[in-house]
Amino acid sequence: MTAQSPASVAGEIEDTRPAPATVRPAGDRGARWRRGIAYALLIGYGLLMLVPFAWTVITSFKTQPDAVSLTVIPNPIVFEGWNTAFTQLDPALPRLFLNSLIVAGAVTLSNVILGTMAGYAFARLRFPGREVLFVIVIGSLMIPDQLRLVPVYILLNNVVDLVNSGPTNYLSVVVVLAIQAESVFLLRQYFLTIPRDYEEAAKIDGAGFFTTFARVMLPLATPAIAAVAILQFQGAWNNFFWPLVLLQERSHWTLPLGLAQFRGLFQTNWPALTAVVVMATIPVLVLYIFFQRYFTAGVAASGVKG
Amino acid sequence: MAANAPRVPRSRGLSDRRAEMLAGLALIAIPMFFFLTLRIGAIGYAGFISLWDWGLRGAKEFEGTRNFERILTDPVFHKAVLNTVYYAIVWVPLTIALGLFLAVIINMKIRGQKFFRAAFYFPAIASSAAITVLWIFLFQPDGLFNDVRGFLGLNPIFQFFGIGPNQAWISTSNTALNTVIALNVWTTSGTFMLFYLAYLQTISNDLYEAAAIDGANAWNAFWKITFPLLRPGHFFVLTVAIIGAFQMFDQAYIGGGVDGSPNNSLTTIVLYLYRKAIADFDFGYAAAVGVVLFVLIMSITLIQRRFFGQTPSWT
Repeated sequence: MTAQSPASVAGEIEDTRPAPATVRPAGDRGARWRRGIAYALLIGYGLLMLVPFAWTVITSFKTQPDAVSLTVIPNPIVFEGWNTAFTQLDPALPRLFLNSLIVAGAVTLSNVILGTMAGYAFARLRFPGREVLFVIVIGSLMIPDQLRLVPVYILLNNVVDLVNSGPTNYLSVVVVLAIQAESVFLLRQYFLTIPRDYEEAAKIDGAGFFTTFARVMLPLATPAIAAVAILQFQGAWNNFFWPLVLLQERSHWTLPLGLAQFRGLFQTNWPALTAVVVMATIPVLVLYIFFQRYFTAGVAASGVKG
Repeated sequence: MAANAPRVPRSRGLSDRRAEMLAGLALIAIPMFFFLTLRIGAIGYAGFISLWDWGLRGAKEFEGTRNFERILTDPVFHKAVLNTVYYAIVWVPLTIALGLFLAVIINMKIRGQKFFRAAFYFPAIASSAAITVLWIFLFQPDGLFNDVRGFLGLNPIFQFFGIGPNQAWISTSNTALNTVIALNVWTTSGTFMLFYLAYLQTISNDLYEAAAIDGANAWNAFWKITFPLLRPGHFFVLTVAIIGAFQMFDQAYIGGGVDGSPNNSLTTIVLYLYRKAIADFDFGYAAAVGVVLFVLIMSITLIQRRFFGQTPSWT
C-alpha cells in the first residue's frame, strides 16, 4: 500500500466532514481508487448473496433433468415442481404454510401480550422481588435454548400431554416459545423512555394501574410492540428445533420441518424442494423489505447498549 | 424498596402503593411462570434427571454420577465434542473477520450503503432449514458449485486437495463439516457485520483526523485505532459467536440426519443430545450431555470475561 495523504485517510473512514481544501487534490485520487475497490468487493459479495437465492427460484420452474444442469433460463419453463409441492407432497405445501402461520402467529401474539405485561411491570411498577425476577429473565438469555430439551420434553409429554396427535399438539411449540427474554427486555427498555407525565395525567383522571397500562401505555409503546411482533414472528416461522422435537403428526409439520423431512425422502426432486424453499423464504423476505429497520435496529441495540 | 421511597409523590398514600404492588405482581405472574418453569426450572430439572436412568415412562433407577462416567468413555460423545470444537475454532474467526471486513467497507459511507447492508444481512434472518436445503442443492455432485468450478477450470486446484469433479460435499465425511462451516459463514457474517457497524459508530472521527495528521495510512489507522477501540465489540461478538457455535444443530441435522451421517462427521454436541433423548429415549444420559454442554459454555464465557476483564453489556 502506498502512503496516503492525511485527508484521504480521514475522508475514507468517516466521510462526514469535508477535507481541508489545501490537501484535497492529492487525497482524492487515492480515495477514489480505494472506493472503486470497495464497490467491486461489495458487488462481488452481493452476487454471492444473491445467486443462491436466484438459482433456487429458477430451479423451481425447471424440469427434473434440467434442474441439475447449468441452464440459467429454465428449458422449458414448467410448473411441475410447484404442482408437485402443492399436490403430491404429504403434507402439501398449503398445509405446511398454514401450520407455520398457526405456530408463528400464536407465538407472536403470546410474546406481545406477556412481553408488554412483564415489560411494563419491570419498567414502572414497584413490587417485591422485582430486581431478582428481572435478573432471572436476563439470565435466561445466557442459557442455550436446546439445553432444555430433555426437561421440557418430559414436562410437555408426561405432565401436560401436549406431545400428542391432536390439535393441542401445536400448543406444545407455542408454550415453549411463549415468552422470550428478548421481548421482555426490549419492551421494558421502551417503557422506560416514556415520560411519566402520561401516567400522572391518567392518575389525575382517576385511572387505575390496569387502565393506565391498557389505555395509555400500550398505545404509546406501539413501535416497540411492532418490533417484538416482527422479530418473534420471524424467529418462530424459522424455528426448526422445537417443531422437530414436539410436532408428532405429519399433518402438523411446519415448513422448515417439512423441508428437512422431504430432503431425505425426495432427495432428487429439486424443482419441488426448491418450490418449498421459496415459500419458506418469501414471508420473511416480505417482512424484511417492509420493516427492515426493526430487524437491523434490534440487532444494533442488543449489540451496543442492550 | 426503601431506596425508592423518596421518588413517591407525597400525596400517594399507603393503599396506593399497595395497589401498585398488586398490579405489578398480577402483571408479572404469568410471564414469570413460564420463565421459572420452562427456562430456569427446566435447567435445574435437567440436572436432576441426569442423575437417573430415565426412560420414556419416567425415572427407573438412581444412578448418581454413572451417566457422567459413561460420557467420559463414550467415543461418539468424544467425536461430537471434537466436531463442535473444530466447528467453533474454524467458524468463529472466519465469520467474525468477514463480518468486521464487511462492516468497515460499508462504513466508508458510500452510495448504496443501506442496500448492501440489507442484502448481506438477509441470509441470517431467512429460515435455516430453507438455507440448508438450498445449500445442499448447490453442493450436490451435479450441483451449481461443482458445475461452476469446472466451468472456470478450477478443478486442478480441488484435485490437489483430493476433491474430484463431482464431489458430494455434504455426504462425504472429509468435506461434510467444512461445507456446513462455509454455509454458516455465508449465513451469519451479516449479523456480525451489523454488530460491528453499531460499534463503529461509537468511534469518534477526531481520532482518525489526529492519526491522519501524524501521517498514519488507512491500514495503520485500522490496526492502531479501529481494531483496539472495538474491544467491547470484540468481546460481545466473540461471546455471541462461541455460544452460537456450541449450539449448532439445524444444519447438522438437515445435512446428515439424526445420525450425523456420514460416520458421525456431522454429529455435534446438541445433535448427540437430541439423538440420545428423542431417538433413543435415554433421557438420563441425554440430560447429562446437556449438563456437560452447559458447564462447557459457562466456563468459556467466564474465561473470556476474565480475558477481556469485562461483563456482557446487557444490563
